Formats: sequence, C-alpha cells, structure tokens
Amino acid sequence: MELLGIIICGGAALACALLVILSKNTVHSALWMVGNCLALAVLFLFLNSQFIAILQVIVYAGAIMMFIIYAIMMLNQRQGFETDILKGLRSGRFVLLCLFMICLLGLGAGISPMALKGEMGPHAMAKFGEVDLIANYIFVQGIAAFELVSVLLTAAVVGAVFLARKD
Amino acid sequence: MNDLFFIPIIKMFVIFGVCLFFITYTTWLERKALGHFQLRYGPMRVGYHGLLQPIADGIKNFFKEEVVPDNADRAVFLLAPIISISLAVMLLAVIPFGAPITILGKKVDLYLANPSIGILFILGFATIGSYGTILGGWSSGNKYGYMGGLRASAMIISYELSMAFAVLSIIMVTGSFSLVDMVGAQQHVWNILREPVAFLVFLISGIAELNRTPFDMPEAESELCCGYNIEYSSMKFSLFFLAEYTHLFVFAALVTTLFLGGWHGPILPGVVWFFLKTFTIIFLCIWIRATIPRLRYDKVMKLEWKFLLPVALANVIATGVVMALFG
Repeated sequence: MELLGIIICGGAALACALLVILSKNTVHSALWMVGNCLALAVLFLFLNSQFIAILQVIVYAGAIMMFIIYAIMMLNQRQGFETDILKGLRSGRFVLLCLFMICLLGLGAGISPMALKGEMGPHAMAKFGEVDLIANYIFVQGIAAFELVSVLLTAAVVGAVFLARKD
Repeated sequence: MNDLFFIPIIKMFVIFGVCLFFITYTTWLERKALGHFQLRYGPMRVGYHGLLQPIADGIKNFFKEEVVPDNADRAVFLLAPIISISLAVMLLAVIPFGAPITILGKKVDLYLANPSIGILFILGFATIGSYGTILGGWSSGNKYGYMGGLRASAMIISYELSMAFAVLSIIMVTGSFSLVDMVGAQQHVWNILREPVAFLVFLISGIAELNRTPFDMPEAESELCCGYNIEYSSMKFSLFFLAEYTHLFVFAALVTTLFLGGWHGPILPGVVWFFLKTFTIIFLCIWIRATIPRLRYDKVMKLEWKFLLPVALANVIATGVVMALFG
C-alpha cells in the first residue's frame, strides 16, 4: 500500500518535472513546478516527516514559486514567450546535465543508507520530535555553517541588487 | 471500523456543513451590516429582512450563462476557481471548534484532524489557495484581471512574512505547532494579553491577505473595475466569492484559536464560545471595511515592509529575550 503510494507520487513528481521543461508556456511550466513540489511533499509524508513536508509546501510551492510566477507575470505579457526547450536539449550542454545528474544519483546512493540508520532515523524522530531534532542539527551542531550561509545569501542579495541597478 | 471510518465521515459532513452554512450567511451579515453602517437597510426583499438572500443568490448564479473569453487560457481559467475553493475549504479540517464532547458514551473531538504541524498546514495551504486568485487574473486575458492577479501575488509575498512572524511568537510562547495545544495553553491567560503586538500585526496582515478593504488591491473597483475575477461569470464567480468568505471565516477562527483562547470561556459550552468569538472578529473585519477607505498601492507596500515586518521581527526577538530571562 505504502509502496504503491510512493510509486504514484514519485511518478507524478517525475511527470510534473518533465512537463516543466516540455510546456511551451512559461506560466504553465511554473504551475507544473508547483505540482512537482506538492508531489515531493507527499513523498516526504511517506517518509514520516510531516514537518519537512509542510516546509516543502510553504517554502517551495508557496513562497518561491509565488515569486517565480510574480516575476514571469511582471516580465512577460500574458501569453509568455514561447520557448522550445527541446532544441536546447540537442546541444552539448545536455551531456553535461546528464553527467551532473549521474553524479547526484551517485551522491544520493552513497549517503542514503547512513542517513537512514543515523540519528535522523524514525526512532529518533519518535523520541525527540521531528522539529526538535532538526532544530538541534541546525542551531546547535551546525550553527557556524548556518550563520556563514546567511552571510553568503546576504552577499548574493547585495550582488543581485548591484547587478540590477540601472545606471 | 466504526471509530476509524464512520465517525470521521460523519464529523466531516457536520463540520463542513455547519461551516459552509455559516460562511454563506456571512455574506448576508456583511451586506446587512454594511447597509446599516451606511444608513441603508441592505437586503430586505427575500425572506424576513433578506434572510433567504444567500440562497436566492446561489440559485440565480447556478442558472446564469457561463462565459469563457476567447483569448483566455482555457485550462488555467477553469482550474483557478477550483484551486481557490477547494484549498479554502481544506483549511477547515484542522481548526479545533470546541472541547471534546461525549455522544452516546463515545468521546468525540470537535476537529477533523490534529496534525502536529497544524498552524503550518494553514499557513502553507492558504498560500497555495491564493494561486487561484493570481491564475484567475492571469488566465482571463483581460488587462484589469492581469493587474489584479499581479497585485494579488505581490500582496501575498509581502504580507505572508509579517503574518508568519506574528504566528512565530505564538509558537514560541506555546512551544507547539498544533492548534489544539495552542488552545490548551490558553486556559488561564489568553495569548492576546501575552502577545498584544503579535495580535495587531496578525490582524492587519490577515486582513491584507484576505484582500479586504482597506487593502483590497487585487479587486479595487475604482481602479481595476473588479480585478482578478472580472471575466468570471455564474457559478465560477460564486466559487471565488465563497472562497473569499471561507478564508475570512478561517482567518477569524484562527485569530480566535491563536489569540482569544479558542473554545475557553465561562458558563456557555465551548463551541458556542468559539463561534461567538469568531463572529466578533468577522464583524470587526466588516466594521473596518465600512470605516477605512482603500489605501494607495505603494502605501500598502510601505506599511508592510517599513512598518509591520520590522515590528513583527522585533516582537519575535523581544519574546525570545523575555523567555530566555524569565521562562
């Protein structure tokens, strides 16, 4: 039963992801991406992590996709400009993309058994609560990295503002 | 079998039925109250003091012709009202309406679900629901609708932030994301006394998220002649309308749950207290609509980014400091 659900949601996520790059209309692409985020959120639910699932909905499907749709609507007129992504797939960059994906898969295969058995497993979640566990990882053990990332993001924002400035 | 299957289904019908009934009559309340604020009577013809007006409106809308504009994006145009109404109604599932009651010797909780992430569920899916507004405006192929959709997304992006920070301070005080726990924590002191600043920020940004006057940018009649739902007719328009009032109801219920002690109150049963408080908030929203004129678009944005967001952030920090020192 659970496996069936995972297969259906995984399939839906994959189909949505394909439709993101295959739709001609940019707003439709963005909508399929929202669908992809929601399917991923359901996959997180199957992994018993409600908190991550709802964060996926709030942060990605809600906030970030809202930003992207806002930007698309701001830039284009209603119909959006028609792009043919299939043409782009026939270039050398596609090979690079495939290589990147294989590396990502390898990385995933390398760390997943460790992550499942480690302290983030279902037992620890049942014992401490999911939010406590994640908060402990981010704000106690990884506080230095977390703060550095925020500095990096601030720098990125400043850079973006500088680039976008009209002179 | 009974406990797992039949009771939730009965509860679902009762909760959605009762809530949708109240939501339909919120439209009557709004028209009536606005009328009296403006020294008119409001609806008077259908039934006693217009009491059957919402039903008459519903029947009328069912029999109206549906028009889909030629240059509309047909699929998205049809999808937008569905997103709006379904995600709005979904939010009703996690709201705790009252203390557990005993029916025929069985303890029944007066909510459909109590996920450990209840409040985040509402914040998340309320945002997803606002895609309906944005897409409705975008897909109808009308520049007023398009402007309305654009404004709606800008409003959601901005006011979601201060709303989330106001909720965050409540989460810090309660120590839980569950709405039932939040009500439980307010048995003696309501959160409005602990977090008055968060209450004000939540109220203002909530009214802004609902797109109600004074913040009704996406449908400013005098600028956009109705905004995002301009091309919608018949029942599709009604669905948008109903979704808006469902959001109003959920927002009032959320204010009740987070700040006004939920179902807690003396003498009367909990459910009665819950609906009394909820309708007080709804009446407050109508009152504000009748009193304050619409703000200019740039002032709405300034209010959020230069006032509400810093205040909400400072409130979270102050809550943290107080909790660290005295908690």
